[in-house]
Amino acid sequence: MATLVQPADAPRRPNIATADIQLPAVKDYEQVDNEILAILKPTKAWFFGLLAALACLGLGAFSWAYQIHQGLGVAGYNPPVMWGVYIITFVFWVGIGHAGTLISAILYLFRAGFRTTIYRAAEAMTVFAVMTAGLFPIIHIGRPWKFFWLIPYPNWRLLWPNFKSPLVWDVFAITTYLTISTTFLFVGLIPDIAVLRDRETNPLRKKILAFLSFGWRNSEREWRHFARAYLFLAAFSTPLVLSVHSIVSFDFAMGIVPGWHTTIFPPYFVAGAIFSGFAMVWTIIIPMRKWFNLKHYVTLNHLDASAKMVLFTSMVVGLAYTIEFFIAWYGGVQYEQDYFWNRVFGQWWWAAWIMLTCNMILPLSLFSQKLRRNPTWLWILSIFINIGMWFERFVIVVPSLSHDVEPWQWSGYVPTWVDYGLLIGSFGWFFMWFLLFVKQLPIMALAEIKEIIPPRMKKGAHHHGGH
Amino acid sequence: MRGIVGVFHELDSTVDTIEELKHKKLGALTAYSPTPRHELEHAIDPPESPVRKFTLIGALAGVTFGYWLSIWGSMYWPLVVGGKAIASWLPYTVFGFEVMVMVGALSTVFGMFYLAGIPRLTDTVGYDVRFSGSHYGVWCECAPDKLAEVEQVMRRHGAVEVRGER
Repeated sequence: MATLVQPADAPRRPNIATADIQLPAVKDYEQVDNEILAILKPTKAWFFGLLAALACLGLGAFSWAYQIHQGLGVAGYNPPVMWGVYIITFVFWVGIGHAGTLISAILYLFRAGFRTTIYRAAEAMTVFAVMTAGLFPIIHIGRPWKFFWLIPYPNWRLLWPNFKSPLVWDVFAITTYLTISTTFLFVGLIPDIAVLRDRETNPLRKKILAFLSFGWRNSEREWRHFARAYLFLAAFSTPLVLSVHSIVSFDFAMGIVPGWHTTIFPPYFVAGAIFSGFAMVWTIIIPMRKWFNLKHYVTLNHLDASAKMVLFTSMVVGLAYTIEFFIAWYGGVQYEQDYFWNRVFGQWWWAAWIMLTCNMILPLSLFSQKLRRNPTWLWILSIFINIGMWFERFVIVVPSLSHDVEPWQWSGYVPTWVDYGLLIGSFGWFFMWFLLFVKQLPIMALAEIKEIIPPRMKKGAHHHGGH
Repeated sequence: MRGIVGVFHELDSTVDTIEELKHKKLGALTAYSPTPRHELEHAIDPPESPVRKFTLIGALAGVTFGYWLSIWGSMYWPLVVGGKAIASWLPYTVFGFEVMVMVGALSTVFGMFYLAGIPRLTDTVGYDVRFSGSHYGVWCECAPDKLAEVEQVMRRHGAVEVRGER
């Protein structure tokens, strides 16, 4: 008869609570400053990475200039498919932006220890992803110089936006999200900029850093108000994270188009956003920990904990996909049933199967702890998830518009090189900002990492943890 | 402003120094540390941060402005959409919420700046660049006749450097 008791000498697999992840290889504060600030020195690989990002951005800029000159017709839109790559890419980048605030705010409130070394990169990623997303509605307007018509301000044309339109809700939600994520990132950076200021020898750079750090001096008074303000910012950001992608989902759910008009969209979009955002964090963090020798900061325990989060959100997303099919069948509405049949076996079957494979099937591999602790697999999986989540938005936008209620409206959609150029350009824009950030400011929060390292004591060892 | 600044390697030495200086009532104290430490907060025993008041006032102002903007804008330029009332409170909750978050968060940051006394561009008295890196510090602002005693307390508790500043 088999026994459930493990032999004492059997190798034990680590099962560490996500709130209790420590950094045993990081011994003191000097080590933190020296190792993390060493990343700021430009390297050849970084320079080539920046050039590649600029090349992609150049392609995007050229495509946009061509579209402005020729008109929106060059982007492959034909009635009734008037939303395509631009809105798909907009939703994709807003989704990417969600993990940053989730990691920095929600996981902060939940005291999840694994966030400490990855949240700064995730926050920066959020700001740059929302900046990227914000470009696409402006690009899609066709006349980008009229974008300010979306802003409600008194004007001589008596032009007021329709406050009942989800598109106007979106403007408010995205503006608030960009403002608050940028504020959150900057407030967290102030003490770290003070570290840079105090180590800087170049007088001009020192002056700039002194200005950016607002004269921060690490006094107990400053830390006390800082900690309180940070807590309230996290408390505000938490419902904001949930609201923003809910509001983005209203862009679709408020329309009476088959496949869109559903109440499941807000939680489905929020879970998908967190899922895709975590994948992008892996895409960025896993190479960084290798190239910059940060394996003892972003440890396998950190990756393991984040993989559990990805697995959970993947299952929420998978459940939402399944529920959509179930409701279409159970609801008995012929148009819905026809649409969902068409989604997986019709004109766009390949897109739906890419989505299902990347977002539902492949992440199931994370049930294996061995794979959760394998950075190479996590990085490969992150690329699949990024692709799968872009296709999720494709599956929501294009098949719905091209397969509406009336058969005479059915049509196709073929993105043009302008669409692809702007899609590639968006990656160039995002990575350009990220790469510039990496070499100017600490990519890990020095003060927070120091908080989890035992402080130096005269009277013997101190327990782990700052609180 | 005249006083003594002490630089410490160890956290417990810093705490002991603060406690003794406080006990002897030698002057106004400021503690420095590269990261927030509850030990220093306990030693200084300051009043609770009133940042939350800024948060509350900002959030209330924001939610009021969000609802007001959408209601006033709709009344000023009435558009009947989908048979809904001109001023529909339910969709306008989006504006109320988003503006509440924006103004509430920004006023929280303003409150933090105001209470922490930043931006501070010139005042570096009683500060040492090591406080942002790996050292702890105590700045004791005191009367000239107490300077020697403060210095003695700091040295006794193991300060790696003690210097007078004004």
